[in-house]
Amino acid sequence: MSARHLSLIQGPSLSLCCSALISLCYVLFSIVFFFSDNQIRSVKSALWYHGYDRPELYRLPSDGSAGSRELLLAFSWLLHRLSLLEQLLARNRVKTGDETSVCTCEDDLPNSQKGITEIAPEYGLEDAVDVRYLQWLNGRLRFQWRSLHAQHQELCKLLHKIHLFTSGSHMDQILGHFSVTETDLVRQPENYKQLLQLLESETMQLEAFLEWKQLEPVYWQWMVMNQTDFGRCSFLDSNIADHFQRKIQESVELKLLDLTYLCAPKKNKMHGSCRLVFRSKHPASKTGFGRSVSKEHVSAVSATEVIRELQMREASLERELKQLREECRQRLDEIAEGLDGVICISP
Amino acid sequence: MSIVTVQLGQCGNQIGHEVFNAICSDIHGTHGLCSKKENESYRDACKERFFCEEESEVPIARAVLVDMEPKVISQTLSMAARSGYWKYDDRSRFCQKQGSGNNWANGYSVHGPRHKEVIMNLVQKEAEKCDRLGGFFTIMSMAGGTGSGLGAFVTQCLRDAFPTSFILNHVIWPYSTGEVIVQNYNSVLTLSHLYQSSDALLVHENDVIHKICAQLMNIKQMSFRDVNQVIAHQLGSVFQPTYTAEGGLHYSRNPLGDLMETLVPHPEFKMLGLRNIPQMPENSLAYSTFSWPGLIKHLRQMLIANAKMEEGIDWQVQPPRLGSSLPSSHSTNRPLHFNTSIANLVILRGKDTHSVDLGSFRDPSLYTSWLNPRDAFNAWKTPRAFNKYEKSAALVSNSQFLLKPLDNVVGKAWNMFASKAYIHQYTKFGIEEEDFLDSFTALEQVISSYTIL
Repeated sequence: MSARHLSLIQGPSLSLCCSALISLCYVLFSIVFFFSDNQIRSVKSALWYHGYDRPELYRLPSDGSAGSRELLLAFSWLLHRLSLLEQLLARNRVKTGDETSVCTCEDDLPNSQKGITEIAPEYGLEDAVDVRYLQWLNGRLRFQWRSLHAQHQELCKLLHKIHLFTSGSHMDQILGHFSVTETDLVRQPENYKQLLQLLESETMQLEAFLEWKQLEPVYWQWMVMNQTDFGRCSFLDSNIADHFQRKIQESVELKLLDLTYLCAPKKNKMHGSCRLVFRSKHPASKTGFGRSVSKEHVSAVSATEVIRELQMREASLERELKQLREECRQRLDEIAEGLDGVICISP
Repeated sequence: MSIVTVQLGQCGNQIGHEVFNAICSDIHGTHGLCSKKENESYRDACKERFFCEEESEVPIARAVLVDMEPKVISQTLSMAARSGYWKYDDRSRFCQKQGSGNNWANGYSVHGPRHKEVIMNLVQKEAEKCDRLGGFFTIMSMAGGTGSGLGAFVTQCLRDAFPTSFILNHVIWPYSTGEVIVQNYNSVLTLSHLYQSSDALLVHENDVIHKICAQLMNIKQMSFRDVNQVIAHQLGSVFQPTYTAEGGLHYSRNPLGDLMETLVPHPEFKMLGLRNIPQMPENSLAYSTFSWPGLIKHLRQMLIANAKMEEGIDWQVQPPRLGSSLPSSHSTNRPLHFNTSIANLVILRGKDTHSVDLGSFRDPSLYTSWLNPRDAFNAWKTPRAFNKYEKSAALVSNSQFLLKPLDNVVGKAWNMFASKAYIHQYTKFGIEEEDFLDSFTALEQVISSYTIL
């Protein structure tokens, strides 16, 4: 790290970074913590569940009297590991009501079960369960699944109706129809206040997130600076390495941008929340009226991806601009050479 | 959440018509004994379940009518339309010009496959009309000829076309001294085939209903209409809307699913019996008062002693005393006439249902050893009275109710089969001896499972 970086970390940048972080947390969590025994315990068990294996944290006392550095480290780990902020943004997003969850991942089940051994625990006679009871429970589960399936089908059917009936009414020409939230708003206009509040809150969160994103590298560098207190933390190192690696990666990607269209298309494995959108079939098709219409999935995107994509596009446009300017200058120089007594001074 | 009813054969169509009649007259009655809001919820739930509302007409029953002859179906359609309160969809019917000789094998192997596409198209149309398909309810007789064979085939087709739907078969158990010589063969074949495709078999025995009509309803000149109306009343008391959860805010929108989940999750135990209390002539209702403790006490004893109705109950039969040291699953320490249950569902309708004490139904000694009352017993309630009964209770029971009748039928069929009597009627149309043997094996398995409870 150069001296310039070091000087960045101290002084005003650090406090700016911290205040940005705090305001972000405040906006996202919007609660004030009063530490209680139960809270500490549940935080510890949640960290354990996610695989945080730093023993110093679990040795912290349950009254919240000590360990702010360990907590900071654990928090940073969560930021990195779980994409915590993106998840919070996704959860607090204003819903269209058209969402459904999709999973087209290939079933990895045979592989994932290889590690599971077949050792059945030894049961005494007292612990024996009648197999008929297990069959009973299995049957109940099957029936409950069927009920869920029927409910889901109903949801899709009703959604189809809403989309069909509101087709052509939306300002957005491409989409054309209302979402559930919008339809509800039409039916109960007095709810607009609540919706507006939610949208404003979401905007605030996104703005806070953007602010955070700009200062994020500083945060990680600051954490690494204090690494000696924490001992070795691989994820901190990887974050710094990540940051520089990302810069390199971006410039490579820019250069390869033109080549992507020549490559084979990526297999789209969808997983997660999607918005169902109405697309009517080609009017020239022979299939019956209103019967078979397809729905497209519009995948939810993460904020980081969008930022990265926009940054890449910005960089590419800037490069193009620079190139055009060069060409212009060259042309002007050529013209200037042809004219006597004229020189070209570029801005 | 809607149920599509498939009425099969003469029996199925006549009973189906009475069922829709009973349901419709119930929701149009003014005897609900509950608040206006409650009544409206009840009516809406019922309409969604059984009827399709078109613009300016009366509600249309969600049903497909199937029969080999045209006569019964036309009668059914016109009777319904005449009521003025509801009707069937005229296009939702399938019938042939002439009958097909009362032959199970003919119905299953010939007429079934031949007309499968047409019938399933009708079913598909009804299913699509539902915003949410809650399952299928088929009504048929077990021992009839073509109707039963065709019915068994149609049930199979339903299962193939709708693998994730709930299918409940309502079957009419024939008179034990019935007229048709081969009725036991038909019964065995029907039951074994239904057991494979359907989720549950809800049984009404003709003998039992006949007794109810004669003794309880005081009907001197009994007609099929009377019998069918009693059956319809009992079915209505099960399938009209209820709250299935304690403190539920809405009428259940998944009656078939709820029923299956509480009673028949185990694939070997699908036989359901139905008891209703009180049952009396309509003109006596005004002079009768009922108390819940009395009704519950009688209903419980009907369950334990396998009584068919509320008169002539054997009060001597008592559950075995728990406390024997071995957790044995054999019935050796159970008194002979005691009816062991796997699971029970009690449905209460009318005044003061919230205060009813059902503790006596939660007695573990009523149930088989491998299921505790928490899993085995459920209660559904509604404050809305049904069909002019101020208080009424229905019991749907997965128990040994049908063990003896089943054993009888299989025994008689086996005796006939031993001498190969009348088998040629079946082999002629593709039901071979092997198929009979498969059916016998399947039903012996069911009998054995129910016996060792």
